[in-house]
Amino acid sequence: MKLSVPQFWRVKESLYRLVLTRCLNCGRVSVFKRPACPYCGSPSIAHEESQGIGVVESFTKVYYKQDSSEDRLPEVVAVVRLSEGVRIVGEVVGVKVDEVSEGMVVEAVLRRYTSDDPYGVIYYGLKFKPLKQGNTQ
Amino acid sequence: MGAYIVGGSIVKVDRHFEYGYRDLAYKVLSSCEVCGDPDYIVVASALPELMAHQVDLGVHIVQWAGRRVPVVRVESGESSGVAAVEVATSLVRSGTARKVVVLGVEKVTEYPTYIANRMYSLILDYEFEVLRGISPPVYAALAMKELMRSGFSRECFSSWAVRMHENATRVPHAMLRFRISVESFKDAQVLAEPVTLYDSFALGDGASAIAISSEPADYEVAVEVKYSSSEVGLPAYARDRVSGLEASTKLFRQLEEKFGVDLRKVAVELHDSYTPYPIALLHSLGYIDTRCELGELEYVNLSGGLKARGHPIGATGIYQVYEVFKLLTGGFDGVSVNSEVGVVHSMSGPDNLSRVLLLRRWK
Repeated sequence: MKLSVPQFWRVKESLYRLVLTRCLNCGRVSVFKRPACPYCGSPSIAHEESQGIGVVESFTKVYYKQDSSEDRLPEVVAVVRLSEGVRIVGEVVGVKVDEVSEGMVVEAVLRRYTSDDPYGVIYYGLKFKPLKQGNTQ
Repeated sequence: MGAYIVGGSIVKVDRHFEYGYRDLAYKVLSSCEVCGDPDYIVVASALPELMAHQVDLGVHIVQWAGRRVPVVRVESGESSGVAAVEVATSLVRSGTARKVVVLGVEKVTEYPTYIANRMYSLILDYEFEVLRGISPPVYAALAMKELMRSGFSRECFSSWAVRMHENATRVPHAMLRFRISVESFKDAQVLAEPVTLYDSFALGDGASAIAISSEPADYEVAVEVKYSSSEVGLPAYARDRVSGLEASTKLFRQLEEKFGVDLRKVAVELHDSYTPYPIALLHSLGYIDTRCELGELEYVNLSGGLKARGHPIGATGIYQVYEVFKLLTGGFDGVSVNSEVGVVHSMSGPDNLSRVLLLRRWK
């Protein structure tokens, strides 16, 4: 077993739900459920769930081999601006890699990340898929 | 009390299949004339748990070398080497030790490259980045695209790599001692568009050692560790721009304001793991514009940088320090500078953490 089940389970609110951290001191919003604001360091924060809708701001086609997902290469990893105004980086699926474009509207979707082996535990998390065909720009 | 680099040694960055962590460490310690009888050894290494299933590497290196010297290992990702120099300098300045040997060692060829890539990618946040498919070349690609949108040409980044390879042809310990051309990028393996293998550092095994003493008068040459500082940046995904290297920029601004450091006049080794990063840094500091002319920066990365000298991850910082030490005290194999001041810059990840050292020739 190469992955820890408790470790995965512990961060479920950032992997399975798109929980954001809103700073009650500086007002900035950051991705993931955090104990403190990454911008000003304040522990005075509130957590909220993103709607999971965003726009692709930039992206790259990835060919870099580093795990058992090579059969899925190339894959697209994009900077997505969520409707709450915060940016997140994640994989874009459900579309041909050559059809991903800047301005594409996407939504968060639960997809397979990796697995221990062909018969082992499968680990899931959020990726992004096109909300609808075409651009908003 | 001051801290002075009084000598050191390195092995060629390469694929040393015949040597393990302990062997490489012993090899470099044995060849370091000024490394005898230290009060302390500080080992810099980033990946031994992953690459060699070895915890507490420092102890096992010292026992292998037949010594009975206190030892501690420092791990700070890609910046482990410079972090170890910071620790060693503190030991000397505080009077805890009169002489400290700083030993950087890394093995990256114990497994096929794709597994080494997986291990190297763990310099990023495992739960929030690596599991989500983000790897170091992804951030390099996003940074390059940002810079190209700001007016930089693709050739600008290629030119950096071409220059690093040219520099490395004069450096015996460099891993990639051959020239490349801007045209060759067209056929280079793509890692993450538009970043290619030629935009990436050379991954090699390495070991490097320096001795830091409080007694420079006892040695033939000495370079003072004048100043050291480090900064933690925002996670790349939380920045307005991935290419906004705020931590590194802040450190170089400090060097300018406190010591008048001008990178056109000093020997400097920049952390160029991927070509967009030195370009972004030099641009943010005002040394280059989008025309990307590096001509006045003649002493930048004379070693060939991470790009061509190579990047034995946790050991790289000690290579950089040794190279600047040599440049300030006569040069190496025909490579020299007309300066008594040098700067070492090290990052881990895309400016997640950055460190600088200011070195000045003492004698």
